[in-house]
Amino acid sequence: MITSNAHKPSLWIALATFALVGFGAFMFPAFIIRPFRSQHPRTLLWAMEIRQFAPLVSLLCAIVSFLLIAMLWRSSNKWRRALLSLAAIAVTFSAVMSRLNYFEWMFHPVDSAKFDAESSSKLGADEMILAVRYGEDARAYPIREMAYHHILNDVVGGVPIAVTY
Amino acid sequence: MNGRALHFYLAGINNQNFLMRDKETGTWWQQITGKAIYGPLKGDSLELVPYDELTFGEWKSEVSDGLVLAEVPKYAKEYESNWEPEILKLPVVISFPGTELKSRDVVVGLELKGVSRAYPWDTLLKQSPVMDHVAGTPLLVAVAPDKKSFRVFVSRIDGKDSEFFLKGEAEDETDSAKTSKKLETQVDASKSSAGVPPAVAGAASPRTPQPAQAVAKSDPPAKPWLLLDSTTASEWNFQGCAVSGPAHGKCLDRVSALKDYWFDWRNYHPDTTIYKH
Repeated sequence: MITSNAHKPSLWIALATFALVGFGAFMFPAFIIRPFRSQHPRTLLWAMEIRQFAPLVSLLCAIVSFLLIAMLWRSSNKWRRALLSLAAIAVTFSAVMSRLNYFEWMFHPVDSAKFDAESSSKLGADEMILAVRYGEDARAYPIREMAYHHILNDVVGGVPIAVTY
Repeated sequence: MNGRALHFYLAGINNQNFLMRDKETGTWWQQITGKAIYGPLKGDSLELVPYDELTFGEWKSEVSDGLVLAEVPKYAKEYESNWEPEILKLPVVISFPGTELKSRDVVVGLELKGVSRAYPWDTLLKQSPVMDHVAGTPLLVAVAPDKKSFRVFVSRIDGKDSEFFLKGEAEDETDSAKTSKKLETQVDASKSSAGVPPAVAGAASPRTPQPAQAVAKSDPPAKPWLLLDSTTASEWNFQGCAVSGPAHGKCLDRVSALKDYWFDWRNYHPDTTIYKH
């Protein structure tokens, strides 16, 4: 009993470390890059740096955390198991979320842009548009659509462009 | 970028100007500047494509066989035509106290040879066409009669700096009515196909913050919007092309300009000056 895993502080410390790093890999950049908050150039740089490696780091941390949780589970009482479950949820959440682009849940991208002929468009005459023209290829991007999607990848007159609003 | 097409997606927000990443390299880019701020392509800049911010009516009158981005049916109900008043209620996270404008004041910003200038939208509405000089270049900033479309030109005709005036302002009422009638057919027959008289279009939904009175007061009766230049006395349309007179057929060079909130423009152009009449 004395040597049961649940009483080895080193395992708990290791778990706490991996769980926190794994959780932070997603949460730190998500916290920094959130709307309605001012971003300092330095913290933004850290956030982008961590976000870049978050998919890998969070996955590795989740795997190690799950191994440690498995080692600690059997000999833990129910309070410790509650803690272990919490750690499992946190690292899983982070590993999943850092593979998803939650910004696109709010503002869905246009997967394949479709266009109406100018003559058949039902857009009102006073609606604002962003207009781009290369030679004969003239395109109108209604701002009411762009203000929702924010980004559209398109090719106009053979030139690849990103339309943003 | 360097001969390679990049595809962008929304990746975050930086002081209320969004960040995007490209699928090909994962580099992070700032929307307003087009600069790569982090990742493999850091330091690179996307080339700004010449573009216009116009009303659909104005654009239709200028192009033929244009294509309009169709709504994505799945998200169509999420589109909001009248979102600007809503945006005005949102908090701003950066501000520049001590500057003459408020954070959410709308400006038309431009940059020439490293010199930035912001034109308050309210001022443009009242004074268009505005003549100015930035970095030694003579400029013409014009708002169309729809009170929404705008363009900036280099006000130089064959290398000669020129001033532009709104036709009809200094003229005798009946005289200008006669001339403009004649011009309407000769100049821009397609213009009428836009269907909406400019005065109506402007007054129906003034989305940008502007005193409603200014719209009503400065709106002349529907007649073609033309500018006269001081050098050749030719008549110029909103596309910056001379439609009659000695300069007929010539077009002014365009200058890219961005309609933006003051706080955003000022944040990325710390040395910007503000146009004053």
